[in-house]
Amino acid sequence: MENKYNLKSPAVKRLMKEAAELRDPTEHYHAQPLEDNLFEWHFSVRGPPDSDFDGGVYHGRIVLPPEYPMKPPSIILLTPNGRFEVGKKICLSISGHHPETWQPSWSIRTALIAIIGFMPTKGEGAIGSLDYTPEERRALAKKSQDFCCEACDCSMRSALLPLTSNSNPSAEDRQAKELAQQIKFKAESSLVTQAGTSADKALTVTSGDSFTSAEQQTTERPHAEQAEVSPAAGVEDPQTPDENSPIRPLSPRQRRAQQHSRQAQRAAREPGASRAMFAPAPRHNESHAGSVVLIVVLTLALAALIFRRIYLANEYKFNYDL
Amino acid sequence: MAKEQKESSQGEMEGVNCLAYDEAIIAQQDKIQQEIANTNPLVSDRQDLSVLQKEYAEDDTVYQLKLKDLYKKYAYIRKTRPDGNCFYRAFGFAHLESLLENSKELQKFKEVAAKSKLDLVNEGFTEFTIEDFHNTFMDLIELCEKQPSLQELLNSFNDQNMSDYVVVYLRLLTSGYLQREHGFFEHFIEGGRTIKEFCQQEVEPMSKESDHIHIIALAKALNVSILVEYMDRGEGGTVNHHVFPEGGDPRIFLLYRPGHYDILYK
Repeated sequence: MENKYNLKSPAVKRLMKEAAELRDPTEHYHAQPLEDNLFEWHFSVRGPPDSDFDGGVYHGRIVLPPEYPMKPPSIILLTPNGRFEVGKKICLSISGHHPETWQPSWSIRTALIAIIGFMPTKGEGAIGSLDYTPEERRALAKKSQDFCCEACDCSMRSALLPLTSNSNPSAEDRQAKELAQQIKFKAESSLVTQAGTSADKALTVTSGDSFTSAEQQTTERPHAEQAEVSPAAGVEDPQTPDENSPIRPLSPRQRRAQQHSRQAQRAAREPGASRAMFAPAPRHNESHAGSVVLIVVLTLALAALIFRRIYLANEYKFNYDL
Repeated sequence: MAKEQKESSQGEMEGVNCLAYDEAIIAQQDKIQQEIANTNPLVSDRQDLSVLQKEYAEDDTVYQLKLKDLYKKYAYIRKTRPDGNCFYRAFGFAHLESLLENSKELQKFKEVAAKSKLDLVNEGFTEFTIEDFHNTFMDLIELCEKQPSLQELLNSFNDQNMSDYVVVYLRLLTSGYLQREHGFFEHFIEGGRTIKEFCQQEVEPMSKESDHIHIIALAKALNVSILVEYMDRGEGGTVNHHVFPEGGDPRIFLLYRPGHYDILYK
């Protein structure tokens, strides 16, 4: 591997160091780069002993950006665990979804310990989070031991050092755990600010995609939609939408704001990606909420398209006045 | 890029629009940063101070008066890229530049800088994660020992990797000093946060802008005196300056306009 990379690259230098530092499995975590790619790592973490994840060992991927450590790693779990969705980037302030709070002096170890620290916390609908019942999580924890990863050729039964009776975390680990607590606090507070104003609003928002029944979902979905819009709208729309009316027509301002966000989304996507926008619904058919999401999404998309025209017209006039 | 797109569409398959929204914000921010980067070098050449005149309307009396006041004291300006790291970059460059022809002070500074890593490690920073930043910082000081041309120093500061690593290290020093002196600084923190939280949210992450408290901490951490000229829309017709820490004998002069720092020369 040493010959393949430019050793002068800061990311390569740093990752080599981290690979050496994390070479041997500990009782709680282990991570190493794939044999053919220093910028993709696989990791295993032990579920915290005093939680529903006790006895579980979970496997996942870490994808590092070329600018690492200036930009944060992305973390994706591969073992079903009931807390984080499988195959999807996790929303912690430490991973790619909140790059503004990542610190270059953090490391992959910090990220692993944060993941462990995060497992027992409530998902509350944050991106990539699940809120399975304790029973389901315990069953998954048991099952997780059977997981084998072909890419890095390891089995969860032997991925980590066995827990010993005096397996007190080392001073270093405790320090890192404190850091994880800090990160957790930040993840919540950044959610609150993102969602707009008050904490109770954030709660409504975050429960947006962890619905259990179709009925609940129809009332909550629009909240989530509106709240998503609010950060971008913050400048031009300081009054946040009223939370108590479930489905109600959006004001032109809100529509405009929504339109803003959609345009931004579109810009970030491939041209053909608008199809993908409608793909989410079928995934949710465990609860038969799927069709309702589809209807809401389609309606909003249609509304967005219509009001885009209106918005464009308005914008034109508005500019003219200036 | 292809990978990113793949991942973003994968995210949407999973079902939540906010994921795409999140990534759209990030993409948009990146785009804005890119635009700024294309038009502003990290640290510019030294320019005549009169370039500022063009930035303000002729009938903008507040700024035109203050500019006149500024001309009385300074002759040149060196601009930095407005990317949220401008204070650290301006400070880093201006300080090393001032030491280029003062080897005695440079040696003193080198000792302070060399020792600073140990202080950070003792405070709980992980050594292997901060040593790359420290090494880059020391490399730059050693470069100055060889008395390079000003252009060489400027090139180093315009090399994104090197320049950002210096910024990270200066941020770490600022954070370290704030935490070491938390008893004093915690009275100035807004929003009921602890010093540690403040450092993790406002000091250590890149692109977080600097305020008085950051400047005082860095000036004290490195034992360097900084003068900042404040030019804003306030009444008075003159620019106000402030020396950090108070009572020092500054050799570094920075111009502050709301949200941004540049370097001034007499």
